[in-house]
Amino acid sequence: MPSRSRFVALQFSRLVALLPFLFLGLGEAFAAAGHDHLPQSAEEVAKPFGIPITNSMIMVWVVALGIIILCRLATKKMQLVPSGLQNLVEWLVESLFNFFAGIMGEHLARRSFWFFATSFILILCCNWAGLIPGVGTIGLTAENAPAGDQFRPFFRGANADLNLTMAMSVTFFGLWFYWAFTEIGPKNFFAHIFAPKGDFGKLMLVLMVPLFLFVGVIEVISIAVRPVALMFRLYGNVYAGENMLETLMIMDKVPDYLKWLPALPFYFLELLVGLIQALVFVLLCAVFTKLMCEHHDEDHEESGHAEPDPEPAAGSSAANS
Amino acid sequence: MPLDNILVLAAAAATEAEGGNVASEIFKQFKIYPITFACQLVNFLIVCAVLKKFAYGPVRGMLDARKKRIADGEAKLAEIEKQIAESEQRTQEAVQEANERAKRLIDEAKESAVVLGEKKTQEASAEAKGIIAKAEEAARGEKEKMHSDLKREFGRLVANTTAQVTGKVLNDDDQQRINEEAMAEVES
Repeated sequence: MPSRSRFVALQFSRLVALLPFLFLGLGEAFAAAGHDHLPQSAEEVAKPFGIPITNSMIMVWVVALGIIILCRLATKKMQLVPSGLQNLVEWLVESLFNFFAGIMGEHLARRSFWFFATSFILILCCNWAGLIPGVGTIGLTAENAPAGDQFRPFFRGANADLNLTMAMSVTFFGLWFYWAFTEIGPKNFFAHIFAPKGDFGKLMLVLMVPLFLFVGVIEVISIAVRPVALMFRLYGNVYAGENMLETLMIMDKVPDYLKWLPALPFYFLELLVGLIQALVFVLLCAVFTKLMCEHHDEDHEESGHAEPDPEPAAGSSAANS
Repeated sequence: MPLDNILVLAAAAATEAEGGNVASEIFKQFKIYPITFACQLVNFLIVCAVLKKFAYGPVRGMLDARKKRIADGEAKLAEIEKQIAESEQRTQEAVQEANERAKRLIDEAKESAVVLGEKKTQEASAEAKGIIAKAEEAARGEKEKMHSDLKREFGRLVANTTAQVTGKVLNDDDQQRINEEAMAEVES
């Protein structure tokens, strides 16, 4: 560990060297300052009333506040002929809705849009906000913490905290069960997993039943693994990206005034990764939803009732029949 | 580092193999506690609820209203186009009807003109014939009158001449006979 005076001098030289990039939002000049490595979990910054406030929570609040303020400004005085912020927000909402309607159909998209759109926007904004200079570098030093782990940043990439990705995954699977049960009914839900698919003769059906029961058990395991895969995929990619940037900026053999350079190309990569990970998360969620509810849609289209069903129970009985 | 995660998962698997609890090992390693998880869950749900109320609701409402307005506008446009087409068709029909009527009137006028012309020609012809007949009759009457006058004058002259030549006073029968003989001579 460098001495305190050397540490301050290093930070000052990095700040001066990276000033143009800071303005461009490309530098995370302080990143190497506090940690000798990026911790796997979010760090507790405060604990009012016994409730731990982690740096990823603060990041979510800041990002959410930004999104909410932007949306309020855009929708406060809505005009029939849009302009400015309203135009931007309308474009975003309409594009997302068309995207999800293309995957799941308009009926399912209307029901579930709030979840998918919020997940996408929040994940994307959190991922990109994690690249802003100051995230992971502005914070406090805990005196009583072990050496090398004394720095406590105020902000951390929100999706580099498994609590948030798990919250989103668990919410999705709760909703997934609700949407599936209300769209196709419990009977069709279990039939979709365990029942033989295709037209078989009686003898063939008897032979196929154990096979499809086995396939159903595998499907149940697959369904159970999905939230775990979702939360770890998002967390892993974001955490890996942040870790890579931090590691690249504390490489020993690079002169201090050039320490920002190795990480620079990867900031562009992380911008792309942030978008792709947001897209992958919501895309998989949408596909899982569509796969379970598609019988319902097919039945409706065949019977000429492609319009949204106001009574899910009626839709279920139609699907059952 | 990402390698740490792999090591954690490997350690968790090893823990499981040793009879430990993988989930609790992972939760401990990644600091997933009920309270922090609940806080993040609440954060996410609040963002969902707020965006649903203040962003998606108004924006979707506006998009639907705009879509409806456009659909209404298109329906009105189609209605107007239909009305224009109907109006054009009615106008064309009226013009066509007027043309046919005018043509019919012209034909009728032509026919009646021809008939009238023929009638007038016939009338004129008949009138001319009548005039000619009258003229001929008048001429014939005039001729006969002149003829009788001439006969009378000639008879008178013949009688006078005969009376002067013969010195005989002629009675009416003589005069009549001399006149007839003289006329027969003249006419022959």
